[in-house]
Amino acid sequence: MNNMADSGALYDRLIVDRARTPLYAGRLEQADGQGEGKNPLCGDKTRVELRMADTHIGEVRHQTRGCAICLAAADLMAERVAGQTVLQARDLSQRFSAMLVGEPASALDTNTDKTALGPLQAFAPLRAHRARIRCAELPWVALKEALSHVDV
Amino acid sequence: MTSAFAQEKTQQDLDVAAIRKQFPILSQKVHDRPLVFLDSAASAQKPDAVIDAMAHTMRSQYANIHRGLYWMSERTTEAYEAVRDQVARFLNAPSREEIIFTRNSTEAINLVAHSFGALLRPGQAVVISEMEHHANLIPWQMLRDRAGIELRVAPITDAGDIDLEALQALLADGAVALVAITHMSNVLGTVTPAKTIADMAHSAGAQVLFDGSQSVVHRKTDVQALGADFYTFTGHKLYGPTGIGVLWARRDLLEAMPPFLGGGDMISTVSFEKSTWANVPHKFEAGTPAIIETIGLGAAISWVEAIGFEAIAAHEAALTTHALARLADVPGLKVVGQPEERGGVISFTMEDVHPHDIATLLDRNGIAVRAGHHCAEPLMRRLGLTATARASFGIYTLPEEIDTLAETLVRIRNFFV
Repeated sequence: MNNMADSGALYDRLIVDRARTPLYAGRLEQADGQGEGKNPLCGDKTRVELRMADTHIGEVRHQTRGCAICLAAADLMAERVAGQTVLQARDLSQRFSAMLVGEPASALDTNTDKTALGPLQAFAPLRAHRARIRCAELPWVALKEALSHVDV
Repeated sequence: MTSAFAQEKTQQDLDVAAIRKQFPILSQKVHDRPLVFLDSAASAQKPDAVIDAMAHTMRSQYANIHRGLYWMSERTTEAYEAVRDQVARFLNAPSREEIIFTRNSTEAINLVAHSFGALLRPGQAVVISEMEHHANLIPWQMLRDRAGIELRVAPITDAGDIDLEALQALLADGAVALVAITHMSNVLGTVTPAKTIADMAHSAGAQVLFDGSQSVVHRKTDVQALGADFYTFTGHKLYGPTGIGVLWARRDLLEAMPPFLGGGDMISTVSFEKSTWANVPHKFEAGTPAIIETIGLGAAISWVEAIGFEAIAAHEAALTTHALARLADVPGLKVVGQPEERGGVISFTMEDVHPHDIATLLDRNGIAVRAGHHCAEPLMRRLGLTATARASFGIYTLPEEIDTLAETLVRIRNFFV
């Protein structure tokens, strides 16, 4: 068991817990925006719905069929972007992608990245698993589409 | 090791420890653990015999073939053409001229779809099965869209065998020109009843092609006994190099078929007005072929034949039995398909753990398996799955490696549940 946790630094406890018991799974009544992400290589699929509260993202829900990385990424994303403006969420999306390829987002220093990403830093070990980066990015693809439907 | 396995092991002559010493890569470590390579169905590892034969060619007697009027070229041509004789014996083909070298099995099937396909007319049909690799599906779909023929799909049973009654029904109207079916499924491990299928096809006036990519590795192949008209396989799954595959086809078919690729080596005479084609097999081998890889394939075949298919088949049957027993003890694990006859390929799913998570965590423990749709998306849909994990065995696989797999799967399951 320990051995498994040590060897798979990628599978942080937070990731495993959220994959097993997501807190933001489901749908929203009267969503202001929705988007889908699909990975044809593995069949993973996620649908993201969001509701705005004035200029901020009010609530986010996701329906995800996929691996633990994809599920946890969707759930932690939903948690993290709630309360942010559209611009802040887009900025966070860039920082998240930059972290996965192992670079700080351009013109943004590492400390700001860390503060902005918060618990999403749990996905940083994906750097060493390039084939799995798409799993974590899939919900963010869906979020981007959902945000494109929102007028701000 | 179970006592049943130990018993079976004494009944055959395979010294796996000695065999493993011939594969330099098997002593590698991955993430600081000994490599447990359970992905031979995707591509097998290479023994010294193959590595050395290829290196020796490049070091000592390499030149282009079929055209050089000098010693080096003649020696290389001899070595290359000797592999054609060897492959003919390997498949029990009636003639060496019926052996066409291709890049892989995919290219061999594309060659048939292009050149045999050119002889088909609208109203005729090709039959494939529900469990084909994309390599034996897409070329026929492309032919259908190009030539206006019909593509029919023979269903499989829930156990993962070809539904022979349904196949019979697809053949009934006499419109089928070709039945193209796998000889062993890369997902389910199903060994298909090739002789029965060939007889059914022939009774309906159709030719039959078998994709032997998986099966040539595990058992002696006799294209005449199978009643095949076309047979394809690839070198890299047979412990040989990448970039070399084989198409065998009946000579009369090859002679009736137009060329596939045009270029050097496939011609008889060339002028701007009109060119004529070389005799088979050269008509189908345009351009400088994969000379070194072909020589590597020859070394792989010699190596495999020296071990013998009887011992290989017994070893892999024992491994498969052992694996099915060990995997049955992993909580939540479900083996996909229960075909009547199974080669050393086992696909599985685990409740609450996605195949990609299984593969990544196994990798962290040095165990290499494949996860995904295995280039067989329609089959996955038929099975109601999006992906599976797959363990596959080779000549060098140890029962202890399967034990490691089963034990690690139990730990992965506990980690997630």
